[in-house]
Amino acid sequence: MISMNNVSKWYGSFQVLTDCSTEVAKGEVVVVCGPSGSGKSTLIKCVNALEPFQKGSITVEGISVGDPKTNLPKLRSRIGMVFQNFELFPHMTVTENLTLGQVKVLGRSIGEATEKGLKLLERVGLLAHKDKYPGQLSGGQQQRVAIARALSMDPIAMLFDEPTSALDPEMINEVLDVMVELAKEGMTMMVVTHEMGFARKVAHRVIFMDAGRIVEDAKKEEFFGTPRSERAQQFLSKILHH
Amino acid sequence: MSGFDFDVIERSLPYLFREGMTFTLTLTALAMTGGIVFGTLLAMMRLAAFKPLSMLAGAYVNLMRSIPLVLVIFWFFFLVPYIGAWVLREPNPIKVGTFWSALITFTMFEAAYYCEIMRAGIQSIARGQVWSGYALGLNYWQTMGKIVLPQAFRNMLPVLLTQTIILFQDTSLVYVISATDFLGAASKIANRDYRLVEMYSFVAIVYFVMSYGLSTLVRRLQQRIAIIR
Amino acid sequence: MNYNWHWKVLLEMEPGGTGTYLHYLLVGLLWTLATALAAWVIALAIGAAVGTLRTTPLKWAVRLGNLYVEIFRNIPLIVQMFLWFFVMPELVPQGLGDWIKQMPPPWGSYVPAVLCLGIFTSVRVAEQVRAGIQSLPRGQRLAGIAMGLTEAQTYNYVILPQSFRIILPPLTSEFMNIIKNSSVALTIGLLELTGRARAMQEFSFRVFEAFTAATVIYLLTNLAVVLLMRAVEKKVRVPGLIAAAATPQAGH
Repeated sequence: MISMNNVSKWYGSFQVLTDCSTEVAKGEVVVVCGPSGSGKSTLIKCVNALEPFQKGSITVEGISVGDPKTNLPKLRSRIGMVFQNFELFPHMTVTENLTLGQVKVLGRSIGEATEKGLKLLERVGLLAHKDKYPGQLSGGQQQRVAIARALSMDPIAMLFDEPTSALDPEMINEVLDVMVELAKEGMTMMVVTHEMGFARKVAHRVIFMDAGRIVEDAKKEEFFGTPRSERAQQFLSKILHH
Repeated sequence: MSGFDFDVIERSLPYLFREGMTFTLTLTALAMTGGIVFGTLLAMMRLAAFKPLSMLAGAYVNLMRSIPLVLVIFWFFFLVPYIGAWVLREPNPIKVGTFWSALITFTMFEAAYYCEIMRAGIQSIARGQVWSGYALGLNYWQTMGKIVLPQAFRNMLPVLLTQTIILFQDTSLVYVISATDFLGAASKIANRDYRLVEMYSFVAIVYFVMSYGLSTLVRRLQQRIAIIR
Repeated sequence: MNYNWHWKVLLEMEPGGTGTYLHYLLVGLLWTLATALAAWVIALAIGAAVGTLRTTPLKWAVRLGNLYVEIFRNIPLIVQMFLWFFVMPELVPQGLGDWIKQMPPPWGSYVPAVLCLGIFTSVRVAEQVRAGIQSLPRGQRLAGIAMGLTEAQTYNYVILPQSFRIILPPLTSEFMNIIKNSSVALTIGLLELTGRARAMQEFSFRVFEAFTAATVIYLLTNLAVVLLMRAVEKKVRVPGLIAAAATPQAGH
């Protein structure tokens, strides 16, 4: 469904991504990990063209992301994205956050959009907060609303950019639970995270990045069993043993 | 319009700059100095623990900031002769030239604005700095003068200078008391020779070049300060 | 001080015979407000557009916006007033210029004053709008775009509503500035509040009564604006979202 071919990206003369290639099949859950600054967030932001790239190609269901003729808003509306800092719109209520895209991008009626939004809100366990503003919710609650907001657009795939790293430890699980459930329902997901427990539980594949390159791209069992590269071994031992 | 007459500008250059611009720049420099000194004192008063003092300073600053500069210029233009008579114990209002009237006005008026800048500057200094001053045995004036104000002044230097550029532009309002500042001088020529378009365009260009140049310098300074910090 | 106050002068008839001096001053206040409000509409419209343009990735738009801001920020207000009043009618085609010059009073002064103040203030509004937009986290724009909103929609629904809430306090002080700055229009013959206080002083020789009355009227007007804006702020306040406190800025 998502296919990347030799994607390279520069900030000025500094290369942040070098020849990244991978495939994500329909229904597959891929976890992207690696040390900070390795380019993993940049990589998934390339998938919906939030970050432009200068070389290589990315296609989503056969549509080329880098092609200037591609209708990017339309493409992006079909890919859900969840950010590290939630990025709910603080001046809108939870319900308004959930309906904005549906109404303005998909052209749904307000009634239809609200109904859909509330259903998703119930699913993430926050129906009681529908009229609150994001600033009145905890971080974990905000991130669950953000997931519901992304789902409200009926995405064909979901991108998660470190969805739990801005959260206090006691709130991480409530967000991961929602993501696990989503994975079990067969959603196609690309998840940048350090949560190896999540990766073990639901990932099909793990991509390990270092210095802008995809160093390892393996089945979950292989990755956790016998990572081939030394960098990945070091990374895993650091992350798992404390 | 009967053609643009550059000649009138050239002819009046000595008058415009020797008389007019000298008035403008002297007024700007002196009012800035007086305004910053008085404004800093006002800021210290506003931050004083003694309530009546801070309220008095607050009332003064808010009053100055609430009424138009033009009205303040009129106020002092008529008030200063009376105050002068009172101070000098003269029976009748004394005569005060437009320059002195303008200088007193702008010092008093700009002090209110410099005060707010210095107040923010003083408040931006960590409390620990004040405590460490007191802990060394320094008194209030020593702590302020040696520790807090130098830092506050340096932090706020770009804003203080930007305010001074505004002061430089605002001095042109002395036109309303018929002073011969740069604009006043140009206006006199403009009306004498009926060359308003030429003279006012020229005035605009000169002010633009000077203000733009100064603000570019301030911006550079700001970047340098940002790097040092 | 040796000054004999004579407050009753406010209730005496002004020489034009339209009413008392107090009435004369209050009509001045109306002209001040009429000038300020009309100029404010221009300032907000242009300021919002220019400020927004300067945050876009369009290089030419940013440059054009910067040029606009630098020109109208670096020329003193009174000089701009003279440019609009004396110079502009000479530079436009003669027919239009003559029409402008023949506008009956007070419109001949009012229209240039409104244009001048509107554009002068638009620069300051533009700076606030730009600062407000740039103070938002970058992720807000990305989140809007990621959802499939176009750039324009993202500005419209996500960025601008938040920015305007943030810059409401500085915008309030800009509005008060425009009220104060409208007094400069007396130099092109608009009899607004300060102009009328000055005229009253010339007719009646009651200097300090005239200026005190004008000062009190300005203070009350300020108070009214503050209360009004506080009500507006309360109305648009979003729970959990704190408006940025006004940072110290040079001004007048």
